[in-house]
Amino acid sequence: MIDLQERFIERKSFIYRLFIVYFMFGGLLLAVLYQTFQLQIANYSEYEIAALENKTHEMNIQPTRGIIYDRDGNILVKNIPTFNLIAIPNKVDDPEFFIAKIKSFIDITEEEENIFYEKFKSKARYNRELVVKTDLDQQEIASFKVRKHNYPNLLVEKRYSRHSDFPNILSHVLGYIGSPSDDELSSILTEAIHPRQETIFSYANGFISGKSGIEKTFDNSLRGEFGEKVYEVDARGKLLQEISYTKPKEGNSIFTSLDLGSHIAANEALKGRMGAVVAVEIDTGAIVTLFSSPSYSINDLSNGISNNQFNALIQNPNKPFFNRALRGRYPPASTIKPALGIFGLQNKLIDWNFSIEDPGFFTLPEDGRIYRGWKKGGHGTVDLEKALIVSSNTYFFSLAYRSDINQLADHLSKFGFGKKVCLDCFDENEGLIPDPQWKRNKLNSGWSRGDTVNLGVGQGYMVATPIQLAYYSSILAKKGAINKLSLVQSEPNQVDHGMNLNNFTKKDWDRLHIAMTDVIDSPAGTSRRLKDLKSFQVAAKSGTAELVSLDSKEDYLLVRQNEAQRDHAIMIAFGPMPDPKYAVSVVIENGESGGAVAGPVAISVLKELIK
Amino acid sequence: MRLLKFRRFNFFYDPYLLVSIILLSFIGLIVLYSASQGNTTIVIKQSIFVFFGIMLMIGVSQPDPAFYKNISGLFLVFSIFLVILTILFGNEINGAKRWLDLGFFTLQPSELIKIALPIFLASYLYDKSLPINLRHTFISILIIGASFFLIVFQPDLGTSIVVLLAGFYVLFLAGLSWKFIGSAFAMFTLSLPFLWNNLLEPFQRQRIATLFNPEADPFGAGWNITQSKIAIGSGGIFGKGYGSGSQAHLDFLPETKTDFIFAVIAEEFGFFGTLILLSIYTFILFRCFYLSFNARDRFCRLTIGGLSLIFVTTIFVNLGMVVGILPVVGMPLPFISMGGTSLLSFYIAFGIIISMASHKKLIQQ
Repeated sequence: MIDLQERFIERKSFIYRLFIVYFMFGGLLLAVLYQTFQLQIANYSEYEIAALENKTHEMNIQPTRGIIYDRDGNILVKNIPTFNLIAIPNKVDDPEFFIAKIKSFIDITEEEENIFYEKFKSKARYNRELVVKTDLDQQEIASFKVRKHNYPNLLVEKRYSRHSDFPNILSHVLGYIGSPSDDELSSILTEAIHPRQETIFSYANGFISGKSGIEKTFDNSLRGEFGEKVYEVDARGKLLQEISYTKPKEGNSIFTSLDLGSHIAANEALKGRMGAVVAVEIDTGAIVTLFSSPSYSINDLSNGISNNQFNALIQNPNKPFFNRALRGRYPPASTIKPALGIFGLQNKLIDWNFSIEDPGFFTLPEDGRIYRGWKKGGHGTVDLEKALIVSSNTYFFSLAYRSDINQLADHLSKFGFGKKVCLDCFDENEGLIPDPQWKRNKLNSGWSRGDTVNLGVGQGYMVATPIQLAYYSSILAKKGAINKLSLVQSEPNQVDHGMNLNNFTKKDWDRLHIAMTDVIDSPAGTSRRLKDLKSFQVAAKSGTAELVSLDSKEDYLLVRQNEAQRDHAIMIAFGPMPDPKYAVSVVIENGESGGAVAGPVAISVLKELIK
Repeated sequence: MRLLKFRRFNFFYDPYLLVSIILLSFIGLIVLYSASQGNTTIVIKQSIFVFFGIMLMIGVSQPDPAFYKNISGLFLVFSIFLVILTILFGNEINGAKRWLDLGFFTLQPSELIKIALPIFLASYLYDKSLPINLRHTFISILIIGASFFLIVFQPDLGTSIVVLLAGFYVLFLAGLSWKFIGSAFAMFTLSLPFLWNNLLEPFQRQRIATLFNPEADPFGAGWNITQSKIAIGSGGIFGKGYGSGSQAHLDFLPETKTDFIFAVIAEEFGFFGTLILLSIYTFILFRCFYLSFNARDRFCRLTIGGLSLIFVTTIFVNLGMVVGILPVVGMPLPFISMGGTSLLSFYIAFGIIISMASHKKLIQQ
């Protein structure tokens, strides 16, 4: 039997000990309460957002790209829907096995297979899709549908392709689209509402961006704005219901100043020869033709091309990717002569009555070096007008000889040479006006009078691009007024009448126009053969750019055996006279005769534009 | 002493415990309806279970505590027998044999040991002179150790630790010497690295590591705790409303019907709901504290003390896990989580506590 005293001590000890344990749990209770308080009250907003993010799944919706129109409303580039077989690369373990399985029910060409393997790796990142085959027919769609459940990484969906009905005619000016680089992609996605979320693609190729031409320069405008779909999801990521939908905003359409017909005409006239045609609407500075040949299919480039095809294009010796209209550097040759004439008149080195005897060559007084004209025996007595019509080299050699090179270089730059002339062209080359400083820096040698003499006939170091020649041509046509060139329709570009043409009156301009019209219309004109090709008057100046410096015509006959060393044919023209609307430039590489070869091309483009 | 006298028999009960436990059970059923996404089959099954549980509790509270003192040995032996049976013939789930399939009910015998052991120890120490001498301490520890290791080998570390605690609570309350406690604690601390490396399975170590840095792997090991915290936190002060918890209803929250049911309450009823729930638990614990203080003898005192401590331990292991301050251990929230044997054990435990609360010896010792 336990006595009362012991009972009392025992109870005291029991209560004491129970109290200790309860006290510990009291501490735990406080800890749990504190933690709950922290979660529910102190950090409530943080967890509220987390819960919201948990149950919502946002997806970006890719906008469709804007349409590109020509000036008459013809569609140059559009989006066409096709049914495509699309793979989700990051769900494919073995691409070869994957393709082999698909092949059992849908034909995959070797080309398509190669494209798939080539692009597989880069597409496997993010949630990018990869098109296996585009433009499925009904039967292919049906045979996929019955096997659909076996392929969680494959889908058939309506997607857009970028498409032009004239893929080879406007290649360089329109440009193509392609997969954006990582930098471009992050820039595209920062515009999306949820930068790192999944994207519902509208295009077969997934993310796209302009890579060249108008597609590149106007990429931001064409691109449009991402839409958004918000879903409620469960923990397994299953989409339960759509909560909200924001329609993507279609990209802006670009209404270009381009004239489709003139491109078709230029393409037919050039017949695949290497060269470029640029035409400008004189009153506005709008570029209506920007054609480079040979070309490539922008549809192929935009919608997937294998490395083999791409390399074939790159390695093609005729350089189809090269945009000759904007980047081709050609000596302007005799087309520079009107600018020289203006220089001479302005600086009172000559007047309209000033004439020289042309023996067919010019002898440099300093060292007796001979500079030849194109016609053996020369043109007899030539004044400025005749010098332009018959394209007397001797006349302009001697005029250039008497010119100050720095003044002359400055004068030429007023016509757009040596600088960019287009406001919104993709990757334009600046060409070159040589001057003593340039020669010292680049060639480390002094300027000689002979260099100035050469410049007088647009030979030597000077190079100009076809678009510069067209710009130059339009300034001549507009009698000195300047319009910056542009590819889109807008208000007329800022016209600067301030081209400082002292001592050069409207009368002078009229005489110049008459002389240039006589290049075709006069029986002595270098381009007289063009006269009957048209029903309106055209002012023109032909040029034949020599690639090899030679002493005699006999030597050239040897040189021309090698086609790549043949002269380039160049033509600038504007019409209809006397109130010209369009100015045009044509360069045909190794075409030899400006008047005879480039001339007809210029005429057919002008005819198309003026009709 | 509370009893209703009927014509033929007395009805023993404790109004405070009875009302709060029935209240908790109702709250549990209401929350279960939401946590099970409105699955009436589950709720009806559980309602039947709860009804029989409450009946069992009331039934268990009728006999005199002396009855439990007498059968405590039998109860423990029977429970151990069931555990051995489980190890031999139990349903194997994920490599662990913890359950006996009785057809209508899946019994987890280790949960029974959780209450059988403290009751037996209380009755064993009932007439020993205090403070307990070395021999009785040794025998008690032997029994505790045997029960512990039996469950460790199922394996079921969570329950085995609770069983260990259950035994220790009774020994401690009975006056285990501080010297002994001190040296045992020192030994435990020293052997921690050994236990960490040898006793814990890799997934258990992972769970403990996760506790300290759940953000390290939010979609893997940290998923449960991360989602639980989001559920609780997004409940705010008054909650999202009954049945409107997105975390629970869109399956972000794991085990909503059982271990993580507290997160459902916190998400749908907010801090306010949390406080109410914790108040009820606290009330029960204070009542138990009062009852053990006024218990009629040492057996009752130790039993009420031991069982109430198991109860509070289970509560806080669960809450600590759900709010993210303790590692993830499978431990239900008493009377709220959809149950099983654990719930059954607590009904029995409180039946015994109520019996001890309502039966006073007519002759004071």
